[in-house]
Amino acid sequence: MLLILDIMTTAAILFVVAIGLLAIFGVLKIINFAHGAWLTIGAYCAVVTAQLGFNPWLALPLAFLVGGALGGLAELFIIRPLYRRPLDAILATWGLGIVIGQLITLGFGRDVQFTPNLLSGTVTVLGTDYSAYRLVALAAALVIGVAFAATMEGTRLGLSARAVIMNETLARGLGIDTARVRLITFMIGAGLAALAGVLLTPLTSVDPTMGVGWLIGAFMLVMVANGSLLALAIACLLFGAAQVLISTFVSPILGSIAIAILAALVLRVSPKGFARA
Amino acid sequence: MRNDAPALATAAPGRWRLSSAAPILVAALAAAALWVAPSVLDPFATNVLTRSMIYAVLAVTVDLLWGFMGALTFGQAAFFGIGAYAAAMLLGQYGGAPQWMAAALGLAVAVPAALGLAVGWLSFYHRSTALYASVVSLVVPIVVVQLIYSGGEWTGSSSGLVGFDVLPFEIEGYFRLAAIVMVAVTLAAWVFARSDAGRALVAVRDNDARCAYLGLDPKRLQVVMTTVLAGVAGLAGFVFANASGVVAPENAGFLFGTELVIWVALGGRGTLLGPVLGTIGIDYLGANLSGDLPFLWQLLLGATFVAVIILLPGGLAEIAKRAFAVLPSKGAEETAPRLVARPPKPIQVASEHPLLTVSGLAKSYGSLKVLENIDLAIRPGELVSLVGPNGAGKTTLMRCLSDGTEPISGAITVDGAPIAGLAPDRIVALGVGRKFQVASVFESLTVAECLLLARASQDGLSLVGQAGTLSLPQAALDVMRMTGLDRLLGTSVRLLSHGQKQALELSMVVALEPRIILLDEPTAGLTKAERTTIGTVLKTLTSDLGIAAVLVEHDLDFVREISSRIVVLHQGRLVLDGTVDEVVGSELVKTIYSGGGHD
Repeated sequence: MLLILDIMTTAAILFVVAIGLLAIFGVLKIINFAHGAWLTIGAYCAVVTAQLGFNPWLALPLAFLVGGALGGLAELFIIRPLYRRPLDAILATWGLGIVIGQLITLGFGRDVQFTPNLLSGTVTVLGTDYSAYRLVALAAALVIGVAFAATMEGTRLGLSARAVIMNETLARGLGIDTARVRLITFMIGAGLAALAGVLLTPLTSVDPTMGVGWLIGAFMLVMVANGSLLALAIACLLFGAAQVLISTFVSPILGSIAIAILAALVLRVSPKGFARA
Repeated sequence: MRNDAPALATAAPGRWRLSSAAPILVAALAAAALWVAPSVLDPFATNVLTRSMIYAVLAVTVDLLWGFMGALTFGQAAFFGIGAYAAAMLLGQYGGAPQWMAAALGLAVAVPAALGLAVGWLSFYHRSTALYASVVSLVVPIVVVQLIYSGGEWTGSSSGLVGFDVLPFEIEGYFRLAAIVMVAVTLAAWVFARSDAGRALVAVRDNDARCAYLGLDPKRLQVVMTTVLAGVAGLAGFVFANASGVVAPENAGFLFGTELVIWVALGGRGTLLGPVLGTIGIDYLGANLSGDLPFLWQLLLGATFVAVIILLPGGLAEIAKRAFAVLPSKGAEETAPRLVARPPKPIQVASEHPLLTVSGLAKSYGSLKVLENIDLAIRPGELVSLVGPNGAGKTTLMRCLSDGTEPISGAITVDGAPIAGLAPDRIVALGVGRKFQVASVFESLTVAECLLLARASQDGLSLVGQAGTLSLPQAALDVMRMTGLDRLLGTSVRLLSHGQKQALELSMVVALEPRIILLDEPTAGLTKAERTTIGTVLKTLTSDLGIAAVLVEHDLDFVREISSRIVVLHQGRLVLDGTVDEVVGSELVKTIYSGGGHD
């Protein structure tokens, strides 16, 4: 039971961390290597909220807004000139991540910050005591996933975004302002990354380089999901399970590289990963 | 047909010799300067620059893989770390006696090279993408670092290894060792990059599909490069382990891999000297500044990196290049080899034995059937035109004929040999040349270099020098003369017109000396005069040399003029196969082209 809960919540956390990157990769076909920096920005939003003495839950909307706004700036000045050079966009966003990391270091110092727990204690699930917060993370993943899917399926923006995903030239020809779709998508993706950063704070230490460790896992999952939300959910469940099982029964070190290795192998066999078109 | 000699763009012999000696001259000067440098530098600078020069070796390998070959890699750090650890572990275990030192060197090169072979095999395969290779190059350092962490006493875990025996040098000695290795590696890379084989790297970066359709195996080249350069990175790791006396997990890490990419990008990818100077400059500056302004230095570096990627993709080398371009210079014209005709291959006898057979070919994408039940046989000397409305499956059929890895049902044979499962380069080796609808050439190369690559699968490429002559079959020379390409040998392909690119691609395909030539709309977008030229060439190839040609064409007048046989495709089926008169007079063709016939 504990194992199943661990798998479910690990998958949920991976999903929350990766979804912002997926949104951007899906529509813009660009890999945002500053994703880790946005996770960090979100976590520091939680730090600031705590320092100002507000309710820690307030950090969630704050992070989404701050992340989205900064994402907008990044899209305009850094991503936009590089649409035609996707490999260079990886590098430029990586550089941006370095800049953000150093700015945070200058502002807050390089030490580990502590944030108040959003929710502490344990609850009993079917006879097992389990961390309440990890269950909240599971719920958060479901909410974010459903909200994201609803946005894509049910709104005008989602329709435009799907049109851009399928055929950008045609979408532009039909009068869709593709530049605006890209901008808004990037802002949403960056906002979701910052939101994930807040949700990570009770689970991990907060310091200026915290995002990098999560970036690679998220990147691998998005590659395997190939832009599809459903495939991302499946990938998170399968790889999350692999990570938990290998960490528990073989070695934690192998568990920590399980996602990267499995993703590389899956992509070698099937370049489209879990997304079968 | 004009008979005058092709224009020669070969430079005067004196200058030629000077330019080919330039790398050696520069290398000798650099080596001499670096040899005396430790006597004027203070110990701090000597130490830092020793490290910087070792890193510069890695920058050269990253530049060859990324700047020249187009494979963005973060993995060189892992190979470097493995080399350093291999040396440190062996020397720590057995001490620094000469035989163990030699063993450490061998191990530091061989282990990374072996891993490089595995990584290359994993990264590059038929239809692999550039992004996938980058993904793998990210995974490698992460895995290696985790293995180092879990190595316990063997690898020293997170604290690394210290106190192993090293080469018996003073710090000046290590500086000179690092300098020699750096100069030697850079010189080798420079000579290689300027050689004909080095141009093949750029060709792979530009257009690896075209490489495959010239009978070259781009993936094998990429795997070989990954292997060799992993070995070179391991060599740098060996020098590093000796010079520093410490190896740590960070030396193999993903972050170090990204730093290497940053140095190469700032210095100027694809220029070799740019990355070398960039790495030394940035690492030295960083060592001096990061003591006082640790975060500001990283911030500055990160911001500069972003700005350079966006605004100046060529890096600092581009500024230098522009500055030099302002100065008056002579001989800006590219040197190009001399054209010569090669003896013709024996003419194929027109026979009833078919060269290409297609039986029961069907292809579908999901539930959409694109081709159904196609039977076709093509004999030497035939010029078969494939006509039919848009969407009839003509281009798909061409693809199935030239790429055996396309999933199909039915069978295709070339000269009796089934092509199922063969990658394009293997089918080229069977004698099939393919010209694409949109001219597929190498934009960054010159006309002569493109043609040299077209001959490479048969004549090979020099690893160190540039060929002085370009020996092409007469038919290819004819195409070039008729289209004026013979006077543009030294011109960059990027500057050619649409029609010239089409003619160049045709020359390249003809230069392969194929037995069957597949042409997808070779006259699209060409002028009337150019069409006539191409028509004449095709007739010569088929009737005089006995080559079989399959032509996809929309211009029915053109088809009628040159074809010996016409095949009509409609909605994925072969509806008519006959002589020109039979097909042109057919009621069915009229209905199809007037828009009827949809069943």
